[in-house]
Amino acid sequence: MLSRADAGGRIEASRRHPRRGDTGTAILLLLPLLVLVVGLIVYPIYRAVWLSFTDKLVGYPERFVGLRNYIYLANDDAFHTVVRNSLVFTVSSVALKIVTGLAMALVLHATWRWRNFFRGLMLLPWITSTVIIALTWRWMFDSFPGRGFFNSVLLDLGLLSRPVAFMATPEGAMLAVVIANWWRGFPFFGVSYLAGMQSIPGELYEAASVDGAGSWRRFWHVTLPGLKHIIIVTTLLTFIFTINDFNIIYVMTRGGPGTATQVFATYSYEVAFNQLRWGRGVTISIFAVPLLIAGIALVSRYLLRERTA
Amino acid sequence: MRDRRLSRRSLLTGAVGASAALALPRVAAPQIKKGANLRLWILKTYVEPTNKAVEAAAQRWAQKHGAQVTVEYFTFEDMQTKYVAAIENKNTPDVGQLETGAPARFAGMGQLLDLTTFARQVEGDIGKAPANVAPVTVLGGKTYALPWYIMPAFWYVWRDEFEKKKVKLPSTFEDAKAAATALNRPNDNFYGLGQSWNRTADGYGVMQGLMYSYGVGWANKDGKYQSIKNAKMQQVMKWATDIYKEGIQPADTLSWTGSQNNEAFIAKKIAQTSNGPSITFALENALAKATDAKDKKMREDAVANHVALPHPAGPDGRRCWGLALSFGVFKTAKDPEAAMSLIAHLLSPEETVRVMNDSHGQFSPVLDKARAATRDYFGKNENYRNFGRAAEWFVATGWPGPVTAAAAEVQASNVLTDAPAKVIVDKWSVDQAIDWADKKIKEIYDTLGA
Repeated sequence: MLSRADAGGRIEASRRHPRRGDTGTAILLLLPLLVLVVGLIVYPIYRAVWLSFTDKLVGYPERFVGLRNYIYLANDDAFHTVVRNSLVFTVSSVALKIVTGLAMALVLHATWRWRNFFRGLMLLPWITSTVIIALTWRWMFDSFPGRGFFNSVLLDLGLLSRPVAFMATPEGAMLAVVIANWWRGFPFFGVSYLAGMQSIPGELYEAASVDGAGSWRRFWHVTLPGLKHIIIVTTLLTFIFTINDFNIIYVMTRGGPGTATQVFATYSYEVAFNQLRWGRGVTISIFAVPLLIAGIALVSRYLLRERTA
Repeated sequence: MRDRRLSRRSLLTGAVGASAALALPRVAAPQIKKGANLRLWILKTYVEPTNKAVEAAAQRWAQKHGAQVTVEYFTFEDMQTKYVAAIENKNTPDVGQLETGAPARFAGMGQLLDLTTFARQVEGDIGKAPANVAPVTVLGGKTYALPWYIMPAFWYVWRDEFEKKKVKLPSTFEDAKAAATALNRPNDNFYGLGQSWNRTADGYGVMQGLMYSYGVGWANKDGKYQSIKNAKMQQVMKWATDIYKEGIQPADTLSWTGSQNNEAFIAKKIAQTSNGPSITFALENALAKATDAKDKKMREDAVANHVALPHPAGPDGRRCWGLALSFGVFKTAKDPEAAMSLIAHLLSPEETVRVMNDSHGQFSPVLDKARAATRDYFGKNENYRNFGRAAEWFVATGWPGPVTAAAAEVQASNVLTDAPAKVIVDKWSVDQAIDWADKKIKEIYDTLGA
């Protein structure tokens, strides 16, 4: 029988000098994962970055042009509009999702009749096809005489004498795509926050109540700090999904009117697939990557620091 | 007795039809090996019977030659995406139906086989395409595709609306605008016109028709860049933006998708719009499906009351941009002889007439003998007579020069429709928008050349 000290010594020794057979097995077991990571993540990213340094046109071989695509886009007024639109679209959508997601979680966290039914119902937007959502919202905002939902209601109530062309103005079109994106995404926030709220110990609320905290103070000092990690992670994830969103805008506005709702994904698609300029199209998508990497790095560092502390 | 007379008549009709079909010229198709297996890509149009008719025509070829044809569709929406993905993945079809700018673009990339010799042979058998259509398939003196039909736009109007107000049917863009002003009734949610400058053929196609009819082209006869900063372009932009400023269109017209002008017209909410014959198809189809007498009468009235006029003219003539559909053989084709044989079969007047009969006027053949064989079909009413004359007014992207990769990119980059949108949405001046568009176009030609 081995003493605890002997066993500990052997483990320590095997850590220092792993057996050759163990290393081989480890490599063999990791190989499928390595192939997947290289094939599905590293190579596509490398290829995209490489293409952004070329003048690749569809059907022609690529030629290295250095930073020419980046310089072109930095001076392109259409791209400036795209950057502005992408930020407005993303920040507005995410902000709306956070606020309504919190509201949804608070309501569903409370104890009331039909709660489980509504928990299921609230997930509907999230499980519905994006194209259906986009088409539905497009119809809701239409001012096609007598057709759009909002216009029909406002006209029938006598609040309008003529339909409002929501989608014909830059602000209206942006509002429409933001609302459609928000509607699709807020259940994700709501469900995540609800899960977070359920893991906050009830004693904390009781202690806060004993100390005289009202519902607002309990929310501010107990609920929000308890949800901090979830809020950060969901915000970051949704920021990434939203800034890369294509379907809603493509179906609802095609980036119009003019270029009023053109964002990274739709502009990249237009340049790569319609103008056949792949190099430039890929560069448009890559422009947002440093921003996203910085965001991910900051959040990861923050979370790891919190965990270590 | 009555039955016998009828059957004799139908027998005679059948005999006349059969002999007419036999009399139609057939192309001496290339010899093919048995068991050939081809992939054919065709455009799925809004007129479903046409799609089925093209597919059936291809299958008849397969049956005749003991071959196989797999028909795959692309739509107006994903046409570019599908071809781009196929080219980059080296997975192009054997035979592909190509839209107006595609032969120049794909041949420039070295994707298409040189079909010059085969095209000469087809010309000898079925005839030539009109001089304004044929160049669509030629690049650098070589023929890379064979034209089959064109699908241009027409100026759709409701006749009764014009008659009620005693307004003459428009012949020019200025007439159309004046008529729109006279017919406009915004309080009844009825507008004089519905013309969107969106990112579909209903936008950039009409903008090109407008520019070319006013004598504005961004390329010269050799296909080289020329500036659009001139007085004629100012007139074009004035027309394109005044129709928005003057309130003669529904307020959200600029944001319409490709089908919303059809819907607005069919719902009789606008008096005029530019569109392909899919509007006629929708009205005729609705009539064919109508069951009760009242509904049928209403549908009959709509069919009789809608007029597909030739696209309006400008001070420099009547030039209408349209889709010119042709067939090309990709270099990846395993059996080019079989591919050419299939094309010859589809282009034959016999097959062309069959497809056209199911097209509701959308399919306007271009090769001489195929056009001659379709004369009766296009004689059935005023609208169809105009459909049959489509080739007369057709102009391709990059007029007055040939279709080039650069010209196709000008169209694809949406600069033509973004220019009026800059004035309407962003409140730029007309001159500012023209300067911006001209700079963009020059840049395309500088990087791609002609």
